Amino acid sequence: MSLAACRAEDSRPALSFSGSGLGPEAELVRRQLDRFSDRHPHVRVELRVTPDAADQRHQLYVQWLNARSPAPDVLQLDVVWTAEFAAAGWILPLDRFTPDVADFVPAALRASKWQGVLYALPWFVDVGLLYWRTDLLQAAPASLTALEQAARRSMTSGETPFGLVWTGARYEGLVTVFVEYLAAAGGGILSEDGRVTVDAPAAVEALTRMRREVGADGVVPISALNWREEDVRLAFQNGRALFMRNWPYAWSLLQDPARSRVAGRVAAAPVPGLDGREAVAALGGAELAVNAHSDQPQLAFAMAEFLTAPEQMLERARFAAQLPARLSLYENGALDGVLPVPVRPVRQALNAAIPRPVTPVYSELSEILQVSLHRALTGQQHPAAALAEAAANMRALLARSGLAADTGAR
Amino acid sequence: MNRQATPRRRESLHAALLIAPAAGLIVLAALLPIVVTVSEALHGHDLRLPWLGRPFVGLANFVEAAGDPRFVEAAIHTALFALVSVPIELALGLALAVVMHRAVRGRAVIRVAALLPWTVPTVVAALIWRFMFESFSTTSFNWFIHPLAAWVPIAAADVWKTTPFVAILLLAGLQTIDPALDEAARIDGAGPLRRFTTITLPLLAPALVVATAFRVLDALRLFDLVYVMTGGGPGTATEPLSLYAFVVLMQHLRFGYGAALSMTVFLFTFAFAVIWIRTMGRTLTSERA
Repeated sequence: MSLAACRAEDSRPALSFSGSGLGPEAELVRRQLDRFSDRHPHVRVELRVTPDAADQRHQLYVQWLNARSPAPDVLQLDVVWTAEFAAAGWILPLDRFTPDVADFVPAALRASKWQGVLYALPWFVDVGLLYWRTDLLQAAPASLTALEQAARRSMTSGETPFGLVWTGARYEGLVTVFVEYLAAAGGGILSEDGRVTVDAPAAVEALTRMRREVGADGVVPISALNWREEDVRLAFQNGRALFMRNWPYAWSLLQDPARSRVAGRVAAAPVPGLDGREAVAALGGAELAVNAHSDQPQLAFAMAEFLTAPEQMLERARFAAQLPARLSLYENGALDGVLPVPVRPVRQALNAAIPRPVTPVYSELSEILQVSLHRALTGQQHPAAALAEAAANMRALLARSGLAADTGAR
Repeated sequence: MNRQATPRRRESLHAALLIAPAAGLIVLAALLPIVVTVSEALHGHDLRLPWLGRPFVGLANFVEAAGDPRFVEAAIHTALFALVSVPIELALGLALAVVMHRAVRGRAVIRVAALLPWTVPTVVAALIWRFMFESFSTTSFNWFIHPLAAWVPIAAADVWKTTPFVAILLLAGLQTIDPALDEAARIDGAGPLRRFTTITLPLLAPALVVATAFRVLDALRLFDLVYVMTGGGPGTATEPLSLYAFVVLMQHLRFGYGAALSMTVFLFTFAFAVIWIRTMGRTLTSERA
């Protein structure tokens, strides 16, 4: 039974999935939903189209869920939304369905939980990578210090105008870069028990390093403070930098000789740690959750489970180049020839992956941080002052939301 | 008396009936949204934190705004932007209007050419100016990364886009001035500058007052140019009030606080409109008397 065959006068109960309506992604989802619907002929499976822009999709979900709409039954969530939706009571705790979660990428699983309870299943993951030019450098740098030294050498010798490029515009991408530098320095934005630690010495050290990199004698161009993923990729692909911090999607574009000047001369590795510390990578991706007002929670969970099964994840990797959220798929060459990007560095990065803070007020927390980071990086504030202000604003936000650590987090 | 009053009363009832649909529409379209916004502004309402409910908080949202440095800065940005950009637009618009007024040959062509920037959609204009200033940037200096320099592309785009609007308003004003006055002054021996300052400018004052009101009201609601060009950055160095209200409403989903911020934008523009029309209207009428 195909989706097209199920039309209006169908009296079967409906089960809807919220997803993209565009291009190969929509085709892939439709194909997988068709297969699910073959196994469950007594329901009518629907694809409810939602915008691809994260902000817009988020806004729509919030409107629907506030109105207690029972559809869509299965929601696709950005990794940083799960805690918000869980705390609001908009999605169901999944423990009652006793899912098998042992295989999921640990960082993605951490992002799927709120107060120790599982609320979503990891669907695909994304992870920060360091790209470098193999014709100018033999091996990936072992530490951030070595990275900076190599970047500077490349600039002074005139091989590349810039040493390193990263996403420094005032948006979520800046937070992911900071999260990596921060973890490399041994710090975090929130502690395990939900306290704000973004004004700790490790954070000041991380931000000071970023500011030095983008400063007058730094290795990152000042324009990078306006750059998002695609600006960064264009600079790197035109041969203007030795290193680039970006996501796996860039790989196949960089290797296209028709468009890229560095095709065949690029390799990827996890972003290195500070001297002696382990490498770290920011985690992105999406998860699937069940609408708390769904009329058929059991079936909705079955759909989420089906879409996150290894078979569907492999198909997603092949047709949408999205990384599977199951560790076992990275073993035994299961992904060879499936993913465009080399599997080894991705797996290393996934092992080193850390989620962004898991909190119901993530988007506002992140916006506070974006503003303060950008002020410090554009020289309007000292790193320590900027982070002190960010921390004060975050504490006020958590207190106002009833989420402060000492008042008993929800 | 009674015989006269009844038809009059009937007439006024008739009038009320005829006015009712229009009045109803105004209430629906203009007043209702404002009333809803005011009510929202008096409540604590965060869509993402449903466990907090929607309690009545009185003026707490406005008190929070007064103590919110980002709001205060945004208010200052908005006021400074209006103070700087509007006078430039008025000066250039006046010059352009005089040129269009004086042009003997190719009048139509000149007027169409002058109006072109006004016809470009703001978002498109903003993108064009952003690309232009990005190409003016070097590896060591970038217009959009310096907190003060980032205002230059915004103000430039605004001046470029709205000067034609000012010019057209002033041109209409110029055309109502009787050329005989100018002629008489010339015969009396007044030079061009004297004639401009003592005849043209005073007679143009009503048009100038209207143009200023339109431009200041627009500038106080500055949003789209900044949204496209800088997003309010670097940091929040170019963030005007409307953009901050938008961020709070649409990104943070804090409807209560966001409504309070929107109300302040409304109150500021409303206060300006009232004060401006009262003072300028009075001076203009007293001058004429």
